[in-house]
Amino acid sequence: MTSFRWGLIKQQMSVQFLVRTLNPFFLGLFVIQPAVFSAVGMLLSRAAGNSTPDLVYNVIGGGIMGMWSGLVFTSTYDILGDRRNGMLELIVGSPTSLNLIEAIRTLTNVLAGLFSLTLAFMAAILVFGYTFTGVNFWGVLISLVILLFSMWSIGVFLANFLAWSRLSGTFVDYLEMPIAFLCGFMYPIRVLPVWLQYISGAVPIRWALEAMNESLLGSFDLHYLVVHWLMAIGLSIVFIVLTSWMQAKVHDSIRLSGELSSI
Amino acid sequence: MIDKFVHIIRIYFAEAWLSYQGRFAITSPFGYIAGKLGFPFFLMLFFIFMGKYVGFSDPLYIVIGNILLIPAASGMGGVTLAIGEERQWGTLSYVLGSPAPRSPVFMGRAFYYIVDGFVTALLGFAIAAAIFGLDLSQVNILLLMICSLLVAVTSSGLGFLFGSISLVTRDGWMILNTFLSFLYIMVGVNFPITSLPLMLQKLSWGLPLTRGIMAARLVMEGEEWSAIRSLIAGEALIGLIYILIGYLFFIFLEKRSMQSGTLDAM
Repeated sequence: MTSFRWGLIKQQMSVQFLVRTLNPFFLGLFVIQPAVFSAVGMLLSRAAGNSTPDLVYNVIGGGIMGMWSGLVFTSTYDILGDRRNGMLELIVGSPTSLNLIEAIRTLTNVLAGLFSLTLAFMAAILVFGYTFTGVNFWGVLISLVILLFSMWSIGVFLANFLAWSRLSGTFVDYLEMPIAFLCGFMYPIRVLPVWLQYISGAVPIRWALEAMNESLLGSFDLHYLVVHWLMAIGLSIVFIVLTSWMQAKVHDSIRLSGELSSI
Repeated sequence: MIDKFVHIIRIYFAEAWLSYQGRFAITSPFGYIAGKLGFPFFLMLFFIFMGKYVGFSDPLYIVIGNILLIPAASGMGGVTLAIGEERQWGTLSYVLGSPAPRSPVFMGRAFYYIVDGFVTALLGFAIAAAIFGLDLSQVNILLLMICSLLVAVTSSGLGFLFGSISLVTRDGWMILNTFLSFLYIMVGVNFPITSLPLMLQKLSWGLPLTRGIMAARLVMEGEEWSAIRSLIAGEALIGLIYILIGYLFFIFLEKRSMQSGTLDAM
Protein backbone atom coordinates (compact mmCIF):
# COMPACT_ATOMS: atom_id res chain seq x y z
CA MET A 1 0.00 0.00 0.00
CA THR A 2 2.77 2.39 1.01
CA SER A 3 4.84 1.61 -2.09
CA PHE A 4 1.74 2.12 -4.25
CA ARG A 5 1.30 5.61 -2.83
CA TRP A 6 4.96 6.44 -3.34
CA GLY A 7 4.56 5.34 -6.94
CA LEU A 8 1.48 7.50 -7.30
CA ILE A 9 3.23 10.48 -5.78
CA LYS A 10 6.29 10.05 -8.00
CA GLN A 11 4.21 9.57 -11.14
CA GLN A 12 1.82 12.44 -10.40
CA MET A 13 4.65 14.82 -9.58
CA SER A 14 6.70 13.94 -12.63
CA VAL A 15 3.69 14.46 -14.92
CA GLN A 16 2.87 17.75 -13.21
CA PHE A 17 6.44 19.01 -13.51
CA LEU A 18 6.56 18.01 -17.16
CA VAL A 19 3.33 19.86 -17.89
CA ARG A 20 4.60 22.94 -16.07
CA THR A 21 7.91 22.91 -17.94
CA LEU A 22 6.34 22.72 -21.37
CA ASN A 23 3.57 25.27 -20.86
CA PRO A 24 4.39 28.94 -21.55
CA PHE A 25 1.54 29.99 -19.24
CA PHE A 26 3.66 28.93 -16.29
CA LEU A 27 6.63 30.84 -17.63
CA GLY A 28 4.42 33.92 -17.31
CA LEU A 29 3.32 32.98 -13.79
CA PHE A 30 6.64 31.94 -12.33
CA VAL A 31 9.03 34.23 -14.18
CA ILE A 32 7.49 37.21 -15.96
CA GLN A 33 4.83 38.27 -13.47
CA PRO A 34 7.18 38.24 -10.44
CA ALA A 35 9.75 40.16 -12.49
CA VAL A 36 7.12 42.77 -13.36
CA PHE A 37 6.06 43.15 -9.71
CA SER A 38 9.68 43.50 -8.68
CA ALA A 39 10.20 46.12 -11.39
CA VAL A 40 7.16 48.09 -10.18
CA GLY A 41 8.57 48.00 -6.64
CA MET A 42 11.99 49.15 -7.79
CA LEU A 43 10.63 51.91 -10.02
CA LEU A 44 8.30 53.13 -7.26
CA SER A 45 11.35 53.26 -5.03
CA ARG A 46 13.19 55.22 -7.72
CA ALA A 47 10.24 57.59 -8.15
CA ALA A 48 10.34 58.13 -4.39
CA GLY A 49 13.96 59.24 -4.69
CA ASN A 50 15.72 56.14 -3.32
CA SER A 51 18.98 55.31 -5.03
CA THR A 52 18.86 51.55 -4.40
CA PRO A 53 15.91 49.18 -4.22
CA ASP A 54 15.01 47.14 -1.14
CA LEU A 55 16.30 43.71 -2.12
CA VAL A 56 14.40 41.66 0.45
CA TYR A 57 10.95 43.10 -0.26
CA ASN A 58 11.27 44.36 -3.84
CA VAL A 59 13.25 41.52 -5.37
CA ILE A 60 12.89 38.41 -3.20
CA GLY A 61 9.30 39.47 -2.41
CA GLY A 62 8.66 39.19 -6.16
CA GLY A 63 9.68 35.54 -5.93
CA ILE A 64 7.19 34.97 -3.10
CA MET A 65 4.55 36.61 -5.28
CA GLY A 66 5.44 34.18 -8.08
CA MET A 67 5.16 31.21 -5.71
CA TRP A 68 1.71 32.26 -4.54
CA SER A 69 0.36 33.20 -8.01
CA GLY A 70 1.71 29.92 -9.32
CA LEU A 71 -0.02 27.96 -6.58
CA VAL A 72 -3.37 29.71 -6.99
CA PHE A 73 -3.51 29.55 -10.76
CA THR A 74 -1.95 26.15 -11.36
CA SER A 75 -4.21 24.54 -8.76
CA THR A 76 -7.24 26.31 -10.23
CA TYR A 77 -6.46 25.47 -13.82
CA ASP A 78 -5.59 21.86 -13.06
CA ILE A 79 -9.03 21.17 -11.72
CA LEU A 80 -10.83 23.46 -14.17
CA GLY A 81 -9.02 21.62 -16.95
CA ASP A 82 -10.15 18.28 -15.53
CA ARG A 83 -13.70 19.59 -15.36
CA ARG A 84 -13.60 20.97 -18.89
CA ASN A 85 -12.12 17.80 -20.35
CA GLY A 86 -14.58 15.56 -18.51
CA MET A 87 -11.83 14.02 -16.38
CA LEU A 88 -13.12 15.14 -12.99
CA GLU A 89 -15.88 12.51 -12.96
CA LEU A 90 -13.35 9.79 -13.79
CA ILE A 91 -10.96 10.95 -11.05
CA VAL A 92 -13.74 11.06 -8.43
CA GLY A 93 -14.93 7.64 -9.58
CA SER A 94 -11.45 6.09 -9.48
CA PRO A 95 -10.17 4.13 -6.44
CA THR A 96 -7.57 6.81 -5.70
CA SER A 97 -9.28 9.60 -3.80
CA LEU A 98 -9.55 13.06 -5.28
CA ASN A 99 -8.16 14.43 -2.01
CA LEU A 100 -4.96 12.46 -2.37
CA ILE A 101 -4.54 13.53 -5.97
CA GLU A 102 -5.18 17.17 -5.04
CA ALA A 103 -2.75 16.93 -2.11
CA ILE A 104 0.01 15.66 -4.41
CA ARG A 105 -0.78 18.18 -7.10
CA THR A 106 -0.75 21.04 -4.62
CA LEU A 107 2.57 19.84 -3.22
CA THR A 108 4.00 19.79 -6.75
CA ASN A 109 2.64 23.26 -7.45
CA VAL A 110 4.12 24.60 -4.21
CA LEU A 111 7.50 23.05 -5.03
CA ALA A 112 7.32 24.38 -8.60
CA GLY A 113 6.94 27.83 -7.06
CA LEU A 114 10.44 27.45 -5.63
CA PHE A 115 11.68 28.04 -9.16
CA SER A 116 10.31 31.56 -8.94
CA LEU A 117 11.91 32.15 -5.54
CA THR A 118 15.25 30.75 -6.76
CA LEU A 119 15.19 33.12 -9.73
CA ALA A 120 14.43 36.05 -7.41
CA PHE A 121 17.40 35.12 -5.18
CA MET A 122 19.61 34.76 -8.27
CA ALA A 123 18.51 38.17 -9.54
CA ALA A 124 19.20 39.69 -6.11
CA ILE A 125 22.68 38.13 -5.98
CA LEU A 126 23.81 38.39 -9.61
CA VAL A 127 22.11 41.63 -10.72
CA PHE A 128 21.95 43.65 -7.52
CA GLY A 129 24.96 42.25 -5.65
CA TYR A 130 22.98 40.97 -2.65
CA THR A 131 25.25 39.27 -0.12
CA PHE A 132 24.17 36.92 2.60
CA THR A 133 26.26 38.81 5.15
CA GLY A 134 24.50 38.87 8.49
CA VAL A 135 21.63 36.70 7.31
CA ASN A 136 20.16 34.18 9.75
CA PHE A 137 20.64 31.23 7.40
CA TRP A 138 18.91 28.60 9.54
CA GLY A 139 16.10 31.02 10.27
CA VAL A 140 15.55 31.52 6.54
CA LEU A 141 15.68 27.80 5.83
CA ILE A 142 13.24 26.78 8.59
CA SER A 143 10.90 29.67 7.71
CA LEU A 144 10.97 28.62 4.06
CA VAL A 145 10.01 25.04 4.86
CA ILE A 146 7.16 26.30 7.07
CA LEU A 147 6.13 28.75 4.34
CA LEU A 148 5.87 25.87 1.86
CA PHE A 149 3.81 23.89 4.36
CA SER A 150 1.52 26.91 4.93
CA MET A 151 1.01 27.37 1.21
CA TRP A 152 0.28 23.66 0.79
CA SER A 153 -2.31 23.72 3.58
CA ILE A 154 -4.12 26.62 1.93
CA GLY A 155 -3.80 24.99 -1.49
CA VAL A 156 -5.54 21.76 -0.38
CA PHE A 157 -8.18 23.81 1.43
CA LEU A 158 -8.98 25.74 -1.75
CA ALA A 159 -9.02 22.54 -3.84
CA ASN A 160 -12.26 21.56 -2.10
CA PHE A 161 -13.97 24.67 -3.39
CA LEU A 162 -12.67 23.99 -6.88
CA ALA A 163 -14.12 20.50 -6.89
CA TRP A 164 -17.36 21.65 -5.30
CA SER A 165 -18.71 23.76 -8.13
CA ARG A 166 -17.76 25.49 -11.34
CA LEU A 167 -18.72 28.90 -9.95
CA SER A 168 -16.95 28.56 -6.60
CA GLY A 169 -13.86 27.59 -8.55
CA THR A 170 -13.85 30.92 -10.35
CA PHE A 171 -13.77 32.79 -7.01
CA VAL A 172 -10.49 31.17 -6.07
CA ASP A 173 -8.83 33.17 -8.85
CA TYR A 174 -9.69 36.34 -6.98
CA LEU A 175 -7.72 35.29 -3.90
CA GLU A 176 -4.39 35.96 -5.57
CA MET A 177 -4.17 39.65 -4.78
CA PRO A 178 -6.09 39.83 -1.46
CA ILE A 179 -3.73 37.29 0.14
CA ALA A 180 -0.66 38.97 -1.38
CA PHE A 181 -1.89 42.32 -0.09
CA LEU A 182 -2.84 41.05 3.40
CA CYS A 183 0.30 39.01 3.97
CA GLY A 184 2.72 41.71 2.85
CA PHE A 185 4.44 39.78 0.09
CA MET A 186 6.38 42.85 -1.05
CA TYR A 187 6.32 45.11 1.98
CA PRO A 188 6.55 44.58 5.73
CA ILE A 189 3.25 43.86 7.43
CA ARG A 190 3.68 46.89 9.71
CA VAL A 191 2.89 49.13 6.70
CA LEU A 192 -0.73 47.94 6.85
CA PRO A 193 -3.27 49.58 9.17
CA VAL A 194 -3.51 47.74 12.50
CA TRP A 195 -6.99 46.31 11.83
CA LEU A 196 -5.74 44.77 8.59
CA GLN A 197 -2.79 43.27 10.44
CA TYR A 198 -5.27 41.50 12.72
CA ILE A 199 -7.12 40.07 9.70
CA SER A 200 -3.88 38.93 8.07
CA GLY A 201 -3.09 37.11 11.33
CA ALA A 202 -5.52 34.38 10.27
CA VAL A 203 -3.40 33.44 7.25
CA PRO A 204 -0.47 31.13 8.10
CA ILE A 205 1.57 32.38 5.14
CA ARG A 206 1.86 35.79 6.79
CA TRP A 207 3.63 34.38 9.89
CA ALA A 208 6.06 32.18 7.99
CA LEU A 209 6.85 34.97 5.54
CA GLU A 210 7.41 37.52 8.30
CA ALA A 211 9.85 35.13 9.99
CA MET A 212 11.66 34.54 6.69
CA ASN A 213 11.96 38.24 5.88
CA GLU A 214 13.21 39.08 9.38
CA SER A 215 15.78 36.26 9.11
CA LEU A 216 16.90 37.64 5.74
CA LEU A 217 17.25 41.05 7.35
CA GLY A 218 19.51 39.51 9.99
CA SER A 219 17.20 38.90 12.95
CA PHE A 220 18.43 36.22 15.37
CA ASP A 221 15.63 36.87 17.87
CA LEU A 222 14.74 33.24 18.57
CA HIS A 223 11.62 34.07 20.58
CA TYR A 224 10.21 36.17 17.71
CA LEU A 225 11.00 33.51 15.14
CA VAL A 226 9.65 30.58 17.17
CA VAL A 227 6.40 32.42 17.89
CA HIS A 228 5.98 33.11 14.16
CA TRP A 229 6.83 29.53 13.18
CA LEU A 230 4.38 28.12 15.72
CA MET A 231 1.64 30.48 14.58
CA ALA A 232 2.21 29.43 10.95
CA ILE A 233 2.24 25.71 11.79
CA GLY A 234 -0.78 25.99 14.10
CA LEU A 235 -2.88 27.89 11.58
CA SER A 236 -1.84 25.51 8.80
CA ILE A 237 -3.05 22.59 10.92
CA VAL A 238 -6.34 24.43 11.45
CA PHE A 239 -6.69 24.71 7.65
CA ILE A 240 -5.88 21.01 7.24
CA VAL A 241 -8.48 20.04 9.86
CA LEU A 242 -11.03 22.28 8.13
CA THR A 243 -10.15 20.64 4.82
CA SER A 244 -10.68 17.14 6.24
CA TRP A 245 -14.01 18.22 7.71
CA MET A 246 -15.16 19.71 4.40
CA GLN A 247 -14.01 16.86 2.17
CA ALA A 248 -16.82 14.44 3.01
CA LYS A 249 -19.41 17.19 2.64
CA VAL A 250 -17.99 18.30 -0.70
CA HIS A 251 -17.96 14.73 -1.99
CA ASP A 252 -21.59 14.23 -0.96
CA SER A 253 -22.49 17.55 -2.54
CA ILE A 254 -20.83 16.88 -5.90
CA ARG A 255 -22.38 13.42 -6.12
CA LEU A 256 -25.84 14.87 -5.47
CA SER A 257 -25.55 17.96 -7.64
CA GLY A 258 -23.93 16.17 -10.57
CA GLU A 259 -21.88 19.32 -11.12
CA LEU A 260 -18.64 17.49 -11.82
CA SER A 261 -18.73 17.89 -15.56
CA SER A 262 -20.55 21.21 -15.49
CA ILE A 263 -18.51 23.84 -17.24
CA MET B 1 -24.93 50.66 -50.10
CA ILE B 2 -27.24 51.69 -47.25
CA ASP B 3 -28.47 48.09 -46.91
CA LYS B 4 -24.89 46.87 -46.61
CA PHE B 5 -24.13 49.50 -43.97
CA VAL B 6 -27.26 48.59 -41.98
CA HIS B 7 -26.28 44.92 -42.29
CA ILE B 8 -22.83 45.63 -40.84
CA ILE B 9 -24.27 47.69 -37.98
CA ARG B 10 -26.80 44.95 -37.25
CA ILE B 11 -24.04 42.32 -37.09
CA TYR B 12 -22.01 44.62 -34.86
CA PHE B 13 -24.73 45.08 -32.24
CA ALA B 14 -26.01 41.51 -32.50
CA GLU B 15 -22.50 40.29 -31.74
CA ALA B 16 -22.20 42.77 -28.88
CA TRP B 17 -25.43 41.53 -27.28
CA LEU B 18 -24.58 37.84 -27.79
CA SER B 19 -21.11 38.42 -26.41
CA TYR B 20 -22.57 40.02 -23.28
CA GLN B 21 -25.07 37.19 -22.83
CA GLY B 22 -22.49 34.50 -23.42
CA ARG B 23 -19.90 35.97 -21.13
CA PHE B 24 -21.76 37.25 -18.12
CA ALA B 25 -25.31 35.89 -18.11
CA ILE B 26 -24.09 32.59 -16.62
CA THR B 27 -22.20 34.15 -13.74
CA SER B 28 -23.50 35.43 -10.42
CA PRO B 29 -23.54 39.12 -9.39
CA PHE B 30 -20.73 38.33 -6.92
CA GLY B 31 -18.60 36.74 -9.61
CA TYR B 32 -19.23 39.66 -11.92
CA ILE B 33 -18.36 42.35 -9.36
CA ALA B 34 -15.38 40.40 -8.01
CA GLY B 35 -14.06 39.95 -11.54
CA LYS B 36 -14.59 43.54 -12.55
CA LEU B 37 -13.60 45.41 -9.41
CA GLY B 38 -12.14 42.88 -6.97
CA PHE B 39 -8.86 42.12 -8.69
CA PRO B 40 -8.09 45.74 -9.74
CA PHE B 41 -9.04 46.98 -6.25
CA PHE B 42 -6.71 44.61 -4.39
CA LEU B 43 -3.97 45.07 -6.98
CA MET B 44 -4.26 48.80 -6.47
CA LEU B 45 -4.07 48.41 -2.66
CA PHE B 46 -1.02 46.19 -3.11
CA PHE B 47 0.74 48.85 -5.17
CA ILE B 48 -0.32 51.59 -2.74
CA PHE B 49 1.30 49.77 0.20
CA MET B 50 4.36 48.95 -1.90
CA GLY B 51 4.60 52.66 -2.62
CA LYS B 52 4.03 53.58 1.03
CA TYR B 53 6.87 51.29 2.11
CA VAL B 54 9.40 52.75 -0.32
CA GLY B 55 8.32 56.33 0.45
CA PHE B 56 6.22 57.12 -2.65
CA SER B 57 4.09 59.82 -1.13
CA ASP B 58 1.22 60.09 -3.61
CA PRO B 59 -1.18 57.13 -3.26
CA LEU B 60 -3.83 58.90 -5.35
CA TYR B 61 -1.44 58.74 -8.31
CA ILE B 62 -1.59 54.94 -8.07
CA VAL B 63 -5.36 54.98 -7.51
CA ILE B 64 -6.09 57.04 -10.63
CA GLY B 65 -3.70 55.07 -12.83
CA ASN B 66 -5.10 51.72 -11.81
CA ILE B 67 -8.71 52.81 -12.28
CA LEU B 68 -7.88 53.96 -15.82
CA LEU B 69 -6.30 50.60 -16.54
CA ILE B 70 -9.69 48.90 -16.02
CA PRO B 71 -11.33 50.10 -19.28
CA ALA B 72 -8.07 49.50 -21.13
CA ALA B 73 -7.82 45.91 -19.91
CA SER B 74 -11.49 45.39 -20.79
CA GLY B 75 -10.99 46.75 -24.30
CA MET B 76 -7.94 44.59 -24.93
CA GLY B 77 -9.33 41.48 -23.28
CA GLY B 78 -12.66 41.81 -25.11
CA VAL B 79 -11.28 41.40 -28.60
CA THR B 80 -8.67 38.82 -27.60
CA LEU B 81 -11.30 36.70 -25.83
CA ALA B 82 -13.67 37.04 -28.79
CA ILE B 83 -11.15 35.35 -31.06
CA GLY B 84 -9.40 33.12 -28.52
CA GLU B 85 -12.56 31.55 -27.13
CA GLU B 86 -13.91 30.72 -30.60
CA ARG B 87 -10.68 28.85 -31.16
CA GLN B 88 -10.79 27.19 -27.76
CA TRP B 89 -14.32 25.86 -28.34
CA GLY B 90 -13.55 24.82 -31.89
CA THR B 91 -16.01 27.21 -33.52
CA LEU B 92 -13.58 29.65 -35.12
CA SER B 93 -13.60 27.86 -38.46
CA TYR B 94 -17.42 28.22 -38.64
CA VAL B 95 -17.26 31.94 -37.87
CA LEU B 96 -14.55 32.54 -40.45
CA GLY B 97 -16.33 30.32 -42.94
CA SER B 98 -19.49 32.44 -42.71
CA PRO B 99 -20.14 35.31 -45.15
CA ALA B 100 -20.26 37.92 -42.33
CA PRO B 101 -17.49 40.52 -42.52
CA ARG B 102 -14.79 39.97 -39.87
CA SER B 103 -14.52 43.49 -38.55
CA PRO B 104 -18.08 43.92 -37.16
CA VAL B 105 -18.12 40.35 -35.86
CA PHE B 106 -15.06 40.70 -33.66
CA MET B 107 -15.20 44.42 -32.94
CA GLY B 108 -18.89 43.98 -32.07
CA ARG B 109 -17.91 41.48 -29.43
CA ALA B 110 -15.50 44.00 -27.98
CA PHE B 111 -18.27 46.62 -27.79
CA TYR B 112 -19.78 45.31 -24.58
CA TYR B 113 -16.38 44.99 -22.95
CA ILE B 114 -15.53 48.57 -23.87
CA VAL B 115 -18.81 49.93 -22.45
CA ASP B 116 -18.50 47.66 -19.42
CA GLY B 117 -14.90 48.76 -18.74
CA PHE B 118 -15.87 52.40 -19.17
CA VAL B 119 -18.77 52.12 -16.68
CA THR B 120 -16.57 50.16 -14.25
CA ALA B 121 -13.93 52.89 -14.39
CA LEU B 122 -16.52 55.56 -13.57
CA LEU B 123 -17.74 53.40 -10.70
CA GLY B 124 -14.12 53.00 -9.63
CA PHE B 125 -13.68 56.78 -9.49
CA ALA B 126 -16.82 57.10 -7.33
CA ILE B 127 -15.56 54.36 -4.97
CA ALA B 128 -12.08 55.94 -4.86
CA ALA B 129 -13.66 59.28 -3.99
CA ALA B 130 -15.44 57.62 -1.05
CA ILE B 131 -12.54 55.47 0.20
CA PHE B 132 -9.42 57.46 -0.63
CA GLY B 133 -10.87 60.95 -0.46
CA LEU B 134 -10.33 61.56 -4.17
CA ASP B 135 -11.57 65.12 -4.70
CA LEU B 136 -13.85 65.25 -7.75
CA SER B 137 -15.34 68.68 -7.02
CA GLN B 138 -12.98 70.53 -9.38
CA VAL B 139 -13.05 67.83 -12.04
CA ASN B 140 -14.74 68.24 -15.42
CA ILE B 141 -16.60 64.91 -15.35
CA LEU B 142 -17.42 65.01 -19.07
CA LEU B 143 -13.72 65.29 -19.95
CA LEU B 144 -12.89 62.50 -17.52
CA MET B 145 -15.51 60.31 -19.21
CA ILE B 146 -14.04 61.12 -22.62
CA CYS B 147 -10.57 60.13 -21.42
CA SER B 148 -11.83 56.85 -19.91
CA LEU B 149 -13.78 55.94 -23.03
CA LEU B 150 -10.86 56.87 -25.25
CA VAL B 151 -8.40 54.59 -23.47
CA ALA B 152 -10.94 51.74 -23.69
CA VAL B 153 -11.33 52.24 -27.45
CA THR B 154 -7.65 52.80 -28.27
CA SER B 155 -6.59 49.75 -26.29
CA SER B 156 -8.97 47.56 -28.31
CA GLY B 157 -6.48 47.99 -31.19
CA LEU B 158 -3.95 46.11 -29.10
CA GLY B 159 -6.69 43.58 -28.40
CA PHE B 160 -7.03 42.98 -32.15
CA LEU B 161 -3.29 42.46 -32.35
CA PHE B 162 -3.25 39.92 -29.51
CA GLY B 163 -6.49 38.36 -30.73
CA SER B 164 -4.83 37.82 -34.10
CA ILE B 165 -2.04 35.98 -32.36
CA SER B 166 -4.76 33.63 -31.04
CA LEU B 167 -5.27 32.53 -34.64
CA VAL B 168 -1.85 30.92 -34.74
CA THR B 169 -1.29 29.93 -31.11
CA ARG B 170 -3.44 28.74 -28.23
CA ASP B 171 -1.48 31.01 -25.89
CA GLY B 172 -2.95 34.31 -27.12
CA TRP B 173 -4.66 34.97 -23.78
CA MET B 174 -1.46 34.25 -21.87
CA ILE B 175 0.51 36.58 -24.14
CA LEU B 176 -2.09 39.32 -23.58
CA ASN B 177 -1.97 38.85 -19.81
CA THR B 178 1.80 39.08 -19.85
CA PHE B 179 1.57 42.26 -21.90
CA LEU B 180 -1.07 43.64 -19.52
CA SER B 181 1.28 43.17 -16.60
CA PHE B 182 3.93 45.18 -18.49
CA LEU B 183 1.43 48.03 -18.60
CA TYR B 184 1.81 48.38 -14.80
CA ILE B 185 5.30 49.61 -15.66
CA MET B 186 5.12 51.13 -19.11
CA VAL B 187 2.25 53.63 -19.38
CA GLY B 188 2.43 55.68 -16.20
CA VAL B 189 -0.10 53.72 -14.15
CA ASN B 190 1.82 53.55 -10.87
CA PHE B 191 4.54 56.17 -11.29
CA PRO B 192 5.38 58.89 -13.81
CA ILE B 193 6.99 57.56 -16.98
CA THR B 194 9.92 59.90 -16.27
CA SER B 195 11.00 57.33 -13.65
CA LEU B 196 11.59 54.81 -16.42
CA PRO B 197 14.98 54.38 -18.10
CA LEU B 198 15.21 56.63 -21.18
CA MET B 199 14.78 53.82 -23.71
CA LEU B 200 11.59 52.62 -22.01
CA GLN B 201 10.28 56.19 -21.90
CA LYS B 202 10.55 56.35 -25.69
CA LEU B 203 8.75 53.02 -25.99
CA SER B 204 6.07 54.26 -23.62
CA TRP B 205 5.20 57.16 -25.93
CA GLY B 206 4.56 54.68 -28.72
CA LEU B 207 1.92 52.79 -26.74
CA PRO B 208 -1.78 53.53 -26.41
CA LEU B 209 -2.86 54.64 -22.89
CA THR B 210 0.23 56.73 -22.05
CA ARG B 211 -1.28 59.97 -23.35
CA GLY B 212 -4.83 59.04 -22.36
CA ILE B 213 -3.83 58.38 -18.75
CA MET B 214 -1.76 61.56 -18.71
CA ALA B 215 -4.76 63.55 -20.01
CA ALA B 216 -7.05 62.01 -17.39
CA ARG B 217 -4.58 62.94 -14.65
CA LEU B 218 -4.58 66.55 -15.88
CA VAL B 219 -8.39 66.54 -15.83
CA MET B 220 -8.28 65.21 -12.26
CA GLU B 221 -6.07 68.19 -11.41
CA GLY B 222 -8.80 70.50 -12.70
CA GLU B 223 -7.41 71.24 -16.16
CA GLU B 224 -9.76 71.94 -19.06
CA TRP B 225 -9.95 70.85 -22.72
CA SER B 226 -7.25 73.25 -23.93
CA ALA B 227 -4.66 71.58 -21.69
CA ILE B 228 -5.41 68.03 -22.79
CA ARG B 229 -6.31 68.62 -26.46
CA SER B 230 -2.98 67.54 -27.87
CA LEU B 231 -2.76 64.50 -25.59
CA ILE B 232 -6.25 63.38 -26.61
CA ALA B 233 -5.46 63.85 -30.31
CA GLY B 234 -2.21 61.89 -29.88
CA GLU B 235 -3.98 59.09 -28.01
CA ALA B 236 -6.68 58.86 -30.69
CA LEU B 237 -4.06 58.77 -33.45
CA ILE B 238 -1.97 56.08 -31.74
CA GLY B 239 -5.12 54.07 -31.06
CA LEU B 240 -6.22 54.34 -34.68
CA ILE B 241 -2.81 53.14 -35.87
CA TYR B 242 -2.96 50.12 -33.55
CA ILE B 243 -6.52 49.29 -34.62
CA LEU B 244 -5.45 49.44 -38.27
CA ILE B 245 -2.30 47.38 -37.70
CA GLY B 246 -4.30 44.91 -35.61
CA TYR B 247 -6.94 44.50 -38.30
CA LEU B 248 -4.39 44.06 -41.11
CA PHE B 249 -2.46 41.59 -38.96
CA PHE B 250 -5.69 39.70 -38.33
CA ILE B 251 -6.47 39.48 -42.06
CA PHE B 252 -2.89 38.33 -42.77
CA LEU B 253 -2.94 35.64 -40.08
CA GLU B 254 -6.44 34.53 -41.02
CA LYS B 255 -5.24 33.80 -44.56
CA ARG B 256 -2.14 32.10 -43.25
CA SER B 257 -3.99 29.93 -40.76
CA MET B 258 -6.54 28.94 -43.41
CA GLN B 259 -3.73 27.83 -45.70
CA SER B 260 -2.05 25.86 -42.95
CA GLY B 261 -5.36 24.48 -41.57
CA THR B 262 -4.43 25.41 -38.00
CA LEU B 263 -7.55 27.46 -37.19
CA ASP B 264 -8.91 25.16 -34.52
CA ALA B 265 -5.69 23.37 -33.67
CA MET B 266 -5.22 23.13 -29.92
